[in-house]
Amino acid sequence: MRAIDTDTDDSDIIYYPSPIELSKVLRDDFSGYLESDEEVIVLAKSDLTVNERGISYGEEHLALTNKRVLVIRDSAITKEFRLTDVSSASLRDYLSTIVLTLNVRDEVVSVMTLSRTRKKQFEKVVTLINDITLHKIPYNMLKKHLFERVNLQKEKVESNRSVLVKLFKFVKPLWYMLLVTSLLSVATTTMNLLPPYLMKVLIDEVLIPRSNLGKLLTIILALLGVNLSLTILGVLRNYALLKLNQRLAFRLRAKIYEHIQLLSLSFYDKFSRGAIISRIVDDVNRVLYFLTQGVSMIVLDLAMIILVGIIMFSMSPWLSSIALLPVPVSLIGTAIYRKVMPKYYHRLWRKWSRVISTLSESLSAVILIKTLGKEHAIVRRFKESLDEFVSSNIEVFKNEQKFWPFIGLSFTISNLLIWWLGGLQVLTGALTLGSLTAFVSYMWSFYGPINDLANHLRLVQQVTVAGERIFEVLSTKPESADKPDARDLKIVGGVELKNVWFTYDGIHYALKDVSFKIEPGEHVGIVGPSGSGKTTLTKLLLKLYEPQRGNILIDGVDVRDIKSSSLKRQVAIVMQNPILLNVSIAENITMGKENATLEEIMAAAKAARAHDFIMKLPEAYDTKVGVYGGRLSGGERQRIAIAAALLKDPKILILDEPTSSLDALTERDVTKAVDNLTKNRTTIIIAHRLSTLRNVDKIIVLDKGTVIEQGSHEQLIRTDGLYKKLFEAQFADFLEERKKRVLLRG
Amino acid sequence: MSIKEWVNKLKILDPEDVKVLGARIDTIDIEVNGVLYTNVRLKRPFPYTHPECLILYDSNDEEVGILRDYRKLDKESKNLVERVLEVVYFMPRVKRILSINPRGGVYEWVVDTDKGLIKFKTWRSCARLLSNGKVIIKDVDGNVYCVENIFKLNSRSQALLSIFI
Repeated sequence: MRAIDTDTDDSDIIYYPSPIELSKVLRDDFSGYLESDEEVIVLAKSDLTVNERGISYGEEHLALTNKRVLVIRDSAITKEFRLTDVSSASLRDYLSTIVLTLNVRDEVVSVMTLSRTRKKQFEKVVTLINDITLHKIPYNMLKKHLFERVNLQKEKVESNRSVLVKLFKFVKPLWYMLLVTSLLSVATTTMNLLPPYLMKVLIDEVLIPRSNLGKLLTIILALLGVNLSLTILGVLRNYALLKLNQRLAFRLRAKIYEHIQLLSLSFYDKFSRGAIISRIVDDVNRVLYFLTQGVSMIVLDLAMIILVGIIMFSMSPWLSSIALLPVPVSLIGTAIYRKVMPKYYHRLWRKWSRVISTLSESLSAVILIKTLGKEHAIVRRFKESLDEFVSSNIEVFKNEQKFWPFIGLSFTISNLLIWWLGGLQVLTGALTLGSLTAFVSYMWSFYGPINDLANHLRLVQQVTVAGERIFEVLSTKPESADKPDARDLKIVGGVELKNVWFTYDGIHYALKDVSFKIEPGEHVGIVGPSGSGKTTLTKLLLKLYEPQRGNILIDGVDVRDIKSSSLKRQVAIVMQNPILLNVSIAENITMGKENATLEEIMAAAKAARAHDFIMKLPEAYDTKVGVYGGRLSGGERQRIAIAAALLKDPKILILDEPTSSLDALTERDVTKAVDNLTKNRTTIIIAHRLSTLRNVDKIIVLDKGTVIEQGSHEQLIRTDGLYKKLFEAQFADFLEERKKRVLLRG
Repeated sequence: MSIKEWVNKLKILDPEDVKVLGARIDTIDIEVNGVLYTNVRLKRPFPYTHPECLILYDSNDEEVGILRDYRKLDKESKNLVERVLEVVYFMPRVKRILSINPRGGVYEWVVDTDKGLIKFKTWRSCARLLSNGKVIIKDVDGNVYCVENIFKLNSRSQALLSIFI
């Protein structure tokens, strides 16, 4: 019985499916079911079905048209909902199943069941249904956006097919180096053909006749010459290969690194740090090995097979035909291998990625692990991931053994046949002993490359997978890339959000219809419970993400129309836990302004109240701060970040809970630094602690992604809203304590 | 306040207004625009990258001012300042590296410096290459040695040092 494949791929969700794709899921002509002006937007496949006998694996399709939601099972439409009756869609998350529900005329209807494997695909479907029903996005606008996505998907499919071609594009500028290594390979091959011939002459013309001392000396000298030439060629070839390898390594790694720096934050949401490192280190190594050693070896193998083949056939066509017998076994075996093995390699590398991820994450969270005493737990987790990797490696080995030993055996049998038949020919005098010895020697020179070629084709297999993983990163387009007509803007400081909607996952909106206005130079506090969307707001202002709907305006200009570089130059953010680079304090401060003078660096540090503690360090501004700034305390890191922001002289400043993780004394210092920083600048302060907002002009209260209140502290306290509740909750303890003291004194 | 305004608030001293009157082991006496300061300590805000820049602190640890480039002081003052800096920022200059041997997790260096032949131990991560070719080496006790320009060392010393950079 065939096992159920729970894997998923791009074919499980098809945008604007063709009539052929539709005919695969519906018995009759699909167009007969469609009304006029109705078209199928997306066709998505589920993997579970529920009927009166319970839940089981099985396919159901959902077709979303611009008018209806259709559910298809066993080639027939089983459910149908008109979008005009639907107000929203959502996914209900269970332990290992997901249920798609529709809100139909105020009643929630369960429509389909799927495993978690299909969740991502159906999140896209839910977003689409909600875009049409809940958010009322005009269909034409939606269609345009979807077409762009469909084209991107097609581009990806094409690129996967031509991974090798794309990889060779990287070698193109270094073609001359590849040519040199290939020529050296061919020269080595030609040299390798001489020793068997010399052996033949030695046996037939010197050893068997037992004469001709002069010829013996000549052959020995010739053999010495050949071996010397082979050594020199080998050294030259290795040097050329090393040079090519290093040049290519630089090009590939620099290209990937440069590319990932340009990608939006959503890329980092998708790939873990370990997965990115694995692509830059391991996959690039595999590709490099193939492009340098692999290609050269394949050229060497092919040259050897052709040249030796010609020599063998000219010596004895009959024996050569026997020698060819194991070749089809090798070719067929290799073809099956290429079909069967990729999935095992994919799995192996996924497991390795997990090992690296666990390692990298545990190192980043070393303080947390130690303080929680979770060393054993993290070691267990690491061992588990390592164990999975080992099992996967053994699985690869076991499957490899199904191919290579049998192919090797077929070559051995053929060799024995040659000795038997060739030996008979020598005994009858049809062949000289020297010729048979040379033939057998050539035969191994023929088999060697055929066997190697099969092995080297494994490299092609491995490098295709590694290349796919590399191009998966390289083909990710920077989402927040500037529009061609984006411009530089000299910012004054006005900020306005108009009906902004934003979602990270396409289903849960972190910001819903957010609107507010901030005048230039105004200080505004944004408060709200955890998860209310405060930090998301700052990311949108910095253009790290783009809202799905609505506009963010700076001085009346949409941020989409402003160059990212211009925006980032004039908007600064100080985070709650700033991470510094492992360079000197001075270099960290000048992140805010390249080529800052020494006076500017010291002035910024003084304003940020960092100068005094810096000067107490023996190496002062030249002190290296350690990984993530670990050699400095939280308050010190915070003040360095403020100094960097000050040096930038931003027109708009965002402070994301800058004092929330500091003790009272340090908070006082940092607060003074913040006061210096915010003077005469538009300032947005994200705050948990309402005491941080004592000097702001306006407070905006967010809850569940929506602005629910805004006004001054006094205005908000008068209304009986969330702000008042938060304020009372934070000051209740303080007031209680004060009351007690007053009573005691009284 | 803009960064320009903050820069204007710095107390930058004009070398012509500063006169060093005398020097002790690690302090100097100076006169700035006719005001006398005794027991003044010298600190380099950028000891490796801009050693010419100094901040002067009086005996109460209050900042007297910043000397952007002490080398612009009159010759006598400059010499006195340099005598104190030699002590405060003692950093033997490495002329040649004779050997570096790994021993029990640390590395034993034998180097020829402007202060003579020195033997010290370092950890694996001990050297820092600055953009101007200067290399700072710190031993296990925190003592600092410097190579003024790595490219001016002999090839053997360069090869030995390159392992740590």
